[in-house]
This record gives sequence, structure tokens and C-alpha cells, in this order.
Amino acid sequence: MAKELIRVEVAYARPDKQLILPVDVEEGSTAVDAVNKSGIQEHFPEIDFDALKLGVFGKAQKPDTVLRAGDRVEIYRPLIADPKESRRRRAEAEKS
Amino acid sequence: MLSAVIALAALAAVFGVALGYVSVRFKVEGDPLVDQIDAILPQTQCGQCSYPGCRPYAEAIAHGEAEINQCPPGGEAGVIALADLLGREPMPINPENGVAQEETLVAIIDEDVCIGCTKCIQACPVDAILGAAKQMHTVIEAECTGCELCVEPCPVDCIDMVPVEATTKTWKWPFPEAEQDKAA
Repeated sequence: MAKELIRVEVAYARPDKQLILPVDVEEGSTAVDAVNKSGIQEHFPEIDFDALKLGVFGKAQKPDTVLRAGDRVEIYRPLIADPKESRRRRAEAEKS
Repeated sequence: MLSAVIALAALAAVFGVALGYVSVRFKVEGDPLVDQIDAILPQTQCGQCSYPGCRPYAEAIAHGEAEINQCPPGGEAGVIALADLLGREPMPINPENGVAQEETLVAIIDEDVCIGCTKCIQACPVDAILGAAKQMHTVIEAECTGCELCVEPCPVDCIDMVPVEATTKTWKWPFPEAEQDKAA
């Protein structure tokens, strides 16, 4: 008997284009399964599958995290600014 | 005489049973009035009405605890729609709740400045910001309601509110008054 399907979402966002794709995956599927099944790479070829940073609703998760119905799997991009550098600059700005 | 009494009694019994059955079969879950009010509210979940979201405000209106003029994002059109639905007089937006926005705004994050602190993600009532700790945060435009709740928590001031660009889906005819002003 086939496993029951659960509905999750896979999301990726750039400033100019963002996409949330609904995907039906088998119960017990992991975050990376959902990403592979969503076909999001067709819309965003720049997604690097070797260095995939995933999370669910704003919390970073391991790629093998088991999903629950309604989860939004998010694919993250690295920061451009260095948080430490930015903090130092703000501290200096406050001093002066 | 007797046959008339029997006929009326039979009719009463039949309709009674029918009404009883229908009231059970088509029982309405929840309060349909709250649903109708909620459908008029703009679903920005911005909290400017002093309630923690559009649905709680709809419930408050339905129970007579709140006025219909506490929703600045809904604007005058929203107040008129609510007045129509509830049979009340339209009234101007209460200035204590804020001023109506002329155009739809959407948040945008300056990627060169974002430090990935997640404060804006926690503030967003509609999960329109994608990101996690020490990862780039990005606003999903289609989800953003322009409520501005994410602007204030940002420690590096990297969120700006910008007008939504008109697309074929969102473009509207300009109001005729505005055209007249231009001509004058």
C-alpha cells in the first residue's frame, strides 16, 4: 500500500524573484527529498545542491529532517555583509 | 371540521420534522458574520486596529466590542463595505489607529546590510520573509502585506517600504479626480 501523501511547500527567494512551490511528498520524506521533488532548480538554476542550506519556517534544519504536513522548506542564500564587521562599524558610529 | 384539524396538525408535524432535520443537517459551524467581516478586512495582520490580527478584529466587530473604523489599511472603502454589511453609518478612519496608505507598499531588504538576525522574521505576521539565523533574509513579495511591522525591529535599518510596481494584475484605472487635478 502506498504511503500517505502530505502537502508541503518549497521556497526560494531572490530580491527580484521569489517562489513558493507546493509539493506532495510521501509521509516520512526529508527536507532534501521535497526540494528534489519540487523541481525548483528549473526556476533557479543557481541553486547549489552540494552546499544546500535548508530550513523550515525561519529555523535552519538538517537536510535529512523529516517533514510534517504544512511545512515550508526554505532554501537559504549566504549573507553578503559580515555581521561582526557590521557590529564593529555600528559600535564605532555610536561612540563618535 | 375534524378533517381540517387533522390536516393542519399533519402539516405542522411534517414541517416540524423537516425543519428539525434541516437545522441539524445544515448546521453552520462558527459565526458566519465573523467570516463575512473577515472577508472584507485586508488581511494585513498589521495589528493597527489594536487587535492581534484581522480575525480577532472581525470577532470584536461582530460582538459589538469594536467600531468599524479601526482599520487604516482597509481605508475608506473598507469602512463603507463594513457599514453596508452591518447596516451602520460609515465613519472616517479613527486617527488613533493610523492613517490610510494611498498605495500598496511592500518591504524590501538591503542585502548588502542584512546581518541575518531573524528579528524581522519573528515580527512578520504572515511569514513573508524567508531566511534563518546567519542566512540572507528575503521578502517574498507575493506574501508581503505591507504592514511595516518588520521595519522597526531591524537593528541595521536594512528594510525599506517601497510602492508595489504595477503589473497587469494589479494595475487599476486612476481615479478621475486625480486626472482632473492634473488637467487643472
